Amino acid sequence: MTALELRDVGKIYGSDENRVVALEHATLSVADDEMLALLGPSGSGKTTLLSIAGGLLSPTSGRVEVGGQDISAFNASQLNRFRRESVGFVFQQVNLVPFLTARENLMVVDEISGARSGRASAGRADQLLGELGLAERGENMPNELSGGERQRVAVGRALMNEPRLVLIDEPTSALDTQLGNQVMELIRQEIKERGTAAVIVTHDTRMIHYCDRTVSIVDGVLRDDAGASAAH
Amino acid sequence: MTDTDDLTDDTGVCRRGSTTSASAVRRFGARYGGRCISASVVERKEDVFLAIRELARAKLRFILLGGAIGLLVFLILFQQALLGGLITQFIGALRNQSATVLVYGSDARRNLEGSRVDPSTVDAVRAVDGVADAGPLGQGTFTARADGALADATLLGYRLGGPGRPTSLNAGRLPETDFEAVVSDGDSSKGFTLGRSVTIEPDGRAIRIVGVATDARYSATPTLFVSYATYEAARTTANPDAGPITPSAVAVTVDADGDPGAVAGRITAQVPGTEALTRDEAISSSPGVSSVQQSFYVILGLFYIVVPLVAGLFFLIITFQKADTLTLLRALGARPSMLIRNLLAQVVVVVLGGVVLATALLAGAAQGTKSIGVKVDPTAIGVTTAVVLGLALISSLAAIRRVLAIDPLRAVTGKDVLG
Amino acid sequence: MKLALRELRRRPSRFAVAAGVLTLIVVLLSFLGGLLDGLFLGSTGALSAQRADVFVYSANSRDSFLRSRIEPDVRAEVAAVEGVDTVGGLGIGLLTAAVPGQQDPADVALIGFEQPATGIPAPPPDGQAFADRRLETAGVRVGQTLEIGRSRTPIRVVGWVRDSNYLLQGGLWVNADTWRATVSAARPDLRVADGVMQVLVVSGSGTPASLAERIDAATAGATRSLSRDDAILSIPGTKEQRSTFLQIIFTTLAVAAMVIGLFFSLLTLERTGLYGVLKALGSSSRQLFGGVVAQAVLVTVVALVIGEILTIGLTAIAPSSIPIELTASRSAFVAVGMLAASVAGSVVSLRRVVRIDPASAIGTSS
Repeated sequence: MTALELRDVGKIYGSDENRVVALEHATLSVADDEMLALLGPSGSGKTTLLSIAGGLLSPTSGRVEVGGQDISAFNASQLNRFRRESVGFVFQQVNLVPFLTARENLMVVDEISGARSGRASAGRADQLLGELGLAERGENMPNELSGGERQRVAVGRALMNEPRLVLIDEPTSALDTQLGNQVMELIRQEIKERGTAAVIVTHDTRMIHYCDRTVSIVDGVLRDDAGASAAH
Repeated sequence: MTDTDDLTDDTGVCRRGSTTSASAVRRFGARYGGRCISASVVERKEDVFLAIRELARAKLRFILLGGAIGLLVFLILFQQALLGGLITQFIGALRNQSATVLVYGSDARRNLEGSRVDPSTVDAVRAVDGVADAGPLGQGTFTARADGALADATLLGYRLGGPGRPTSLNAGRLPETDFEAVVSDGDSSKGFTLGRSVTIEPDGRAIRIVGVATDARYSATPTLFVSYATYEAARTTANPDAGPITPSAVAVTVDADGDPGAVAGRITAQVPGTEALTRDEAISSSPGVSSVQQSFYVILGLFYIVVPLVAGLFFLIITFQKADTLTLLRALGARPSMLIRNLLAQVVVVVLGGVVLATALLAGAAQGTKSIGVKVDPTAIGVTTAVVLGLALISSLAAIRRVLAIDPLRAVTGKDVLG
Repeated sequence: MKLALRELRRRPSRFAVAAGVLTLIVVLLSFLGGLLDGLFLGSTGALSAQRADVFVYSANSRDSFLRSRIEPDVRAEVAAVEGVDTVGGLGIGLLTAAVPGQQDPADVALIGFEQPATGIPAPPPDGQAFADRRLETAGVRVGQTLEIGRSRTPIRVVGWVRDSNYLLQGGLWVNADTWRATVSAARPDLRVADGVMQVLVVSGSGTPASLAERIDAATAGATRSLSRDDAILSIPGTKEQRSTFLQIIFTTLAVAAMVIGLFFSLLTLERTGLYGVLKALGSSSRQLFGGVVAQAVLVTVVALVIGEILTIGLTAIAPSSIPIELTASRSAFVAVGMLAASVAGSVVSLRRVVRIDPASAIGTSS
């Protein structure tokens, strides 16, 4: 089963003279437990692709399927539900809630979906934190954590709802090589253990060897790592 | 890149260079007034316009603030006018008559209604040093028949030609004989008009209205200034069981260079059974006036505190929220005085806008409360505006301090989420 | 919603501003309400206490208590009306009383009555009176003999009653004969003949309106009868005071709504980033807005509690000449008003919350 299927997806911003073509004829397939690296420079459209795959944006054209579900024409509240249940995000800016502890930052996912409550939710949060090497840091506020620790909390949050697909935006851009390796190691571990698929957007070539496959994107067009256009 | 890039405005995010090198600063967008502007725009000298543009962009919050301040100022103005109007309703007649000293009975508790003096007191008072003239003053509330209908009326009887005559005549003339009256203004709808007659129930003689005076009501009822004899006749008519009728007080005018306060003191000391008050003392100690005043002052005080608090805190908060932008502007060379000028300009615009709203509401309210006599007084509005503006500007000091505390060298990081 | 409450708990300082201003507004409203009630009760307590259905005034008194006179023959006519159970006379004279040991005389409303009323037992013997608690602040004590008016008529205070005042003067309740004699002595011009009372308090069967009609018909228009509520409202100044004060109170509530709208829209603006992230995690606008409302309501509740405490403190130290009466029902009124204002004010933020785009959580360069 494919976790993610993009077929001829296009995204255009603006109109007429101010048209910006962010994505063009993007076609991509990610298998259920595959870890894909999406490589590209600034302005290449990789964030747009990530946003569409995760149901944060709707495509202008084409088809998007996640775990067999066609989300191309979902309305806002359907996308909301989809993100709640099927997708996990790790943002480049991490975006932890500053007045919640690390544990509570994970538990907030359950609060939103109502999936688990109280003790059950705390239990799962602690389990994830333990796997990420943050067992002792559950009670700390984000401003008491180091950059790498915050990154790991964000990874935990992305996994709380047991998603089909995890989308990660530049996980190592703010980390040094050692920390970067640590984080990528953990991500790979978690992904493979759970059989979740992951798309990792990055321009950091040091880290792509953690992934199963690399796809490049330049000016809105995908190319596989063989260099040929992935349009067909 | 054009001068004004617009991106997901309401979530407040502008493009940023992914590095902080000098060239990126050139591409660095700053969020000001909801729109992203590039550095070149800031370099242009657009002082106060920036402030107005921010106002125009963030209409809702400034309208809310202006609305809140407008309502508050309206309530302040309204209550001040109400207080003034109410007090005039109760003691306008006392204020607008010729006696500068009023002598009450000593156990009247400074209340004209409950006051009684012997007729002989009048002569005793006249004999006191500094008194130019003294005459009896009779006050009573009666049921009167005017224009066929019954109405409350207050009679103030004085010795014709002597102290106690009305001083705010705006039509007609003073009474020259018994059964003629000057009536307080504003009661013509009830039949108290110039030229007509009223009778004191039951079946008294007709009293003809020969003059009208402004702000001459007593105790919030239509008031008739009549001769003392007329007053006595009215008392007898209204209550045939009544015994001998005595004056309520003695009305006194003072020698040309005399001091009413000193004369009043002398009268109280020398004439037994009396308490003499100057006209102003009589007014402020009239029953209900002082307690009404005190109550209103407390409430007005609270309102006066709320206004600058709301304004000051609002501007403090938005200054904090703009900290990033302000830091950028300083980094690009804007002087603190420019930023402070903008802030003060906004305070002034909001307060003045609120005052305009308040005046409009006050005009409407004045229509609706004609009976209590709420008037739109430009002086009062001017004074209140000045006070409120002053308070608001003072309260923005906190925001100004925050602006001055900006260190342009400080790096700016995201505010509400950490990463 | 739990998230919103946790934010309140963890970061109270952000909400302190709104809470502070709202507390002031609560104090304002409570004060205004207390003043309204104090003035109302102080003016009308004497009539409110009567257990009558109808008050009967003389037709030419224009519903003024003080000028009304009911002769014995008219009274007999009223008593004979079908459906009338009890008829009692009531008379009020506004006089001053010298209080032993006090320099200033007290303003009293000398009330002659025949029928007991709420909180007021049967008329005392000649020369004795029940005094309203209000007179306690003027130095009056049980057992004292007060001297009424210039004639210094002695009257001994034998007990207390409450909320029985008229036109802000302390009620002094005596039997009809004592009342007549005292008024005639102190104010000869207001002398009332034997058997005459100012107003009759009548209780009977049927609706007050129909009873009033029957009575006026029976006396051939010599009387004008009013139901209790109408009689209370006809006391000079009551109606205007009430409507003016209520207008001021409602306008102040509107201000409260605007203040909440203002401060919470600023707060929402600060949190657009946070809301973007939460929406990216799948939170709905409804959940987020519910959180905003919950915070507004809770901040208002805090303001209500602190405001009430401050008000009680303020009225305790206020000079006694200011007639303030704090009642539970008025506090409830203020509370309901403020809570409604808080919900209305938070609606201002609704549009912005709905418009926040979850894609903003990613918001950097593409």
